[in-house]
Amino acid sequence: MTVQLIFLAFFGAAAVWFGIVVFRTHSMVRSALALLFSQTAVGLMFLVMQAEFLGVLQIMMMATEMSVMAIFMVMFMMDPGGMGAMEMTHQKRLSLWSGGVGLVAAVAVIWLADWGPTVPDIPGAAEQAADLGRELLGRSMFIFQSAGLTILTAMVAATMVAIAPIEESSK
Amino acid sequence: MTILVVLLSLAAGAYFIAVLESWAVHGRLQISRPAISALALLGRESLLARTPDRLFFEAGPVLLLVAGLLAVSVIPLAPGLIVTDLATGALFLNAALAYVLVALIMAGWGPNGAYGMIGGWRFLGQFVAYAMLIVMPITAVAMRAESLSTVDIVTSQAALWNIAYQPLGFVLFVVAAMGLCWLPPLDLPTAEGDLAGGVEAEYTGVRLAVLRLARMVVILALAGATVTFYLGGWLGPWLPAWAWSGIKILIVAGLMVSAGRLVPRVREARYLELSWKLGIPLALTNIFVVGVIALVVPI
Repeated sequence: MTVQLIFLAFFGAAAVWFGIVVFRTHSMVRSALALLFSQTAVGLMFLVMQAEFLGVLQIMMMATEMSVMAIFMVMFMMDPGGMGAMEMTHQKRLSLWSGGVGLVAAVAVIWLADWGPTVPDIPGAAEQAADLGRELLGRSMFIFQSAGLTILTAMVAATMVAIAPIEESSK
Repeated sequence: MTILVVLLSLAAGAYFIAVLESWAVHGRLQISRPAISALALLGRESLLARTPDRLFFEAGPVLLLVAGLLAVSVIPLAPGLIVTDLATGALFLNAALAYVLVALIMAGWGPNGAYGMIGGWRFLGQFVAYAMLIVMPITAVAMRAESLSTVDIVTSQAALWNIAYQPLGFVLFVVAAMGLCWLPPLDLPTAEGDLAGGVEAEYTGVRLAVLRLARMVVILALAGATVTFYLGGWLGPWLPAWAWSGIKILIVAGLMVSAGRLVPRVREARYLELSWKLGIPLALTNIFVVGVIALVVPI
């Protein structure tokens, strides 16, 4: 239990540290990959807490998502390599306030929420995956289906916006 | 002990694949060639490009090697001869191999060179093409085995190997796997001839040796995954289990390394188009067919 706690604290600290690195670096690729390693550390925390499926899923999904994000950051930022040491932050006062309020709210939720009794014995990894499947196809199905449909709509809309109309470009 | 055996067989396998690849590239079979080029690489100066992203430059090849080794750790070579039999093994394999993409982007971006950078980002485009075709055939394999554990997947094929049960998935998976380890005709990130080595262009000496070794490990991991998911893993008559795994993995890896060289390199836009417009409908068909077979005539 103690070893588990030490590892949990270590990966938690790593996640926070990489989160800070995201804003401390000038390079967009470094920033994106720092966010990736922060999320990977969260995935490792899942693994430490014996939620194997969720941990592996988090580690897998984030690698691809953050890489795709990196190329968009390189495409749209003016100084993607950070070699011009350009200032990329803005609205600092607003960001500080909203970040602070967000932190206080998150800590309040953690402290004040009733998390229910701790599960005495954790089900095996295979059983967890099966339970998750039943949850997704049962009670949570509607939420997941609507989330999926929303994402699909956003993807189609984004593609439509990105494609230049043929009539306009041929003029 | 298991880890040592797996690492040793990995080293032997990597050497075999390197011999085979040099045979396919240079047209001459030389057993000593990989050893000589490894020595040459280790002896050569390891140059550093001007104003590199040093962290990415150094970490890229190492991360690639780590990703390959983690993927190998869930591939069973015989009953009990597996580094870790995770309950989510098939998913873990994907998770480890997703970092091949991250490693190549890092290695491409790190040296601050145009060829490397284009090579790295090209691999991202290639990834968008092959990623779904790695995951969706594995879904069908897991459906039959009713488990994500790689050991369970092998034992589920005792009556009939998956290559006969779901041949469509096998073809899709192998082609996507060749995209994942950027073998010709899908060698866009390194593309000799139009990118001058691409990701490898700025690497020399020890760092290049690590990069090449890591690629061999990734190829072997993918060949191992193909054998585990479709060719019955260690199952086979007469010979001991580990021998069957070894023979099958080396044959699959050999075919992956050599067969694609007979085809011209596929352009990335064409590859994307084929993967999404043809590959994904086929993969969905495969999942449907396997689902129907699994429900109607369980074998």
